[in-house]
Amino acid sequence: MLDSLLPPLNEHNLPYPDTIHPIVVHFVIAMVLFAFVCDIVGYFTRNPKLAEVSWWNLFFATIAIFIAVIFGQVEAGLAEPYSAAVSTLNLHTLIGWSLSGILAGITGWRYVIRSQNKPQLPMPYLVASVALVGLVIVQTYLGDLLVWVYGLHTVPVVEATRGGTL
Amino acid sequence: MSTETELLKQMDLGANHLPYVIPIHPNLVHLTLGLFIVAISFDIVAVLFPVEKALFKYLAIPVTRSGLFDVGWYNMLGAAVITFFTVASGFYEMILADPIPDVKSAWGLQALDTMVWHGVGGVLLLTLIVGMTVWRGFQRFAWRKDMARQVQWGYIAVGLVIFGIMFLQGTLGAHLGGEFGIHTTADQLIQVGENPDLRL
Repeated sequence: MLDSLLPPLNEHNLPYPDTIHPIVVHFVIAMVLFAFVCDIVGYFTRNPKLAEVSWWNLFFATIAIFIAVIFGQVEAGLAEPYSAAVSTLNLHTLIGWSLSGILAGITGWRYVIRSQNKPQLPMPYLVASVALVGLVIVQTYLGDLLVWVYGLHTVPVVEATRGGTL
Repeated sequence: MSTETELLKQMDLGANHLPYVIPIHPNLVHLTLGLFIVAISFDIVAVLFPVEKALFKYLAIPVTRSGLFDVGWYNMLGAAVITFFTVASGFYEMILADPIPDVKSAWGLQALDTMVWHGVGGVLLLTLIVGMTVWRGFQRFAWRKDMARQVQWGYIAVGLVIFGIMFLQGTLGAHLGGEFGIHTTADQLIQVGENPDLRL
């Protein structure tokens, strides 16, 4: 009865044409990595403009990650993963939620550092941002496995799942 | 057996028709799109800065207009550099593509048409991104060097048109992976009658 109120699902098992989560994550992956590159280049060139560019990229990434988690949760809920894919999806979900908190925390830290007007970034912050970059790369790899290896939301996999052969 | 398949056999490709586990191109796409879209977005925010000033003040976020334009410039520069690699990896992985035959995409295109359009779109976008970077550089360092508003309205307008081209290009790319099963291991296994749940 409630089903009739929900939009129909297409051949990707989605209520809209294509997956949205992999698009929103552009703005987390690219911005976190670019913020780090700006910090490293800025550290050696002592160009204060790059510190500002890094901060704004982190700021953008922090807004984006919450949107990414929302769409990720919706699309994970509609993924109907087969047994082999379940553990990867669970780990991707766990790291995704954790990253939203970690990224927001580091961006907050960056806000404080920025307001102090110091010439160089403190070493503990640089260490934390290396860890953040590592976590983002691991998370991207897990997402890649879900899409490109397990093929979740791809037409052949959805078809096989619906047909009961997967 | 043709020479082409002979050569491909020598490459030791996996079930996904690549010599590695996950395709590289879609990952570089994150960087191209993220950097370009954020570059234009920050230039828009910077151009409209007089309107937003009060909001930033309310949020207690100190903002300088030139800082916002710096994001517009450096992110665009980053997009231009990385996109050469995005296109290069795209062509490499397109050469190794083995699409599921006799399928039409949601846009009614065959696999080959989709690949050709996506390839043309990639070269077009690379050209546009490099062109935008040069244009942005001239505005920043020469024509509008001493102006408070660093970019022309035309630059913003062209940027928004490119967003539209990127949407079309991205959807074609999504069709290549998600509908034609190119480099998607599970889809390729299903295509040859195997069960991904048992193989992966």
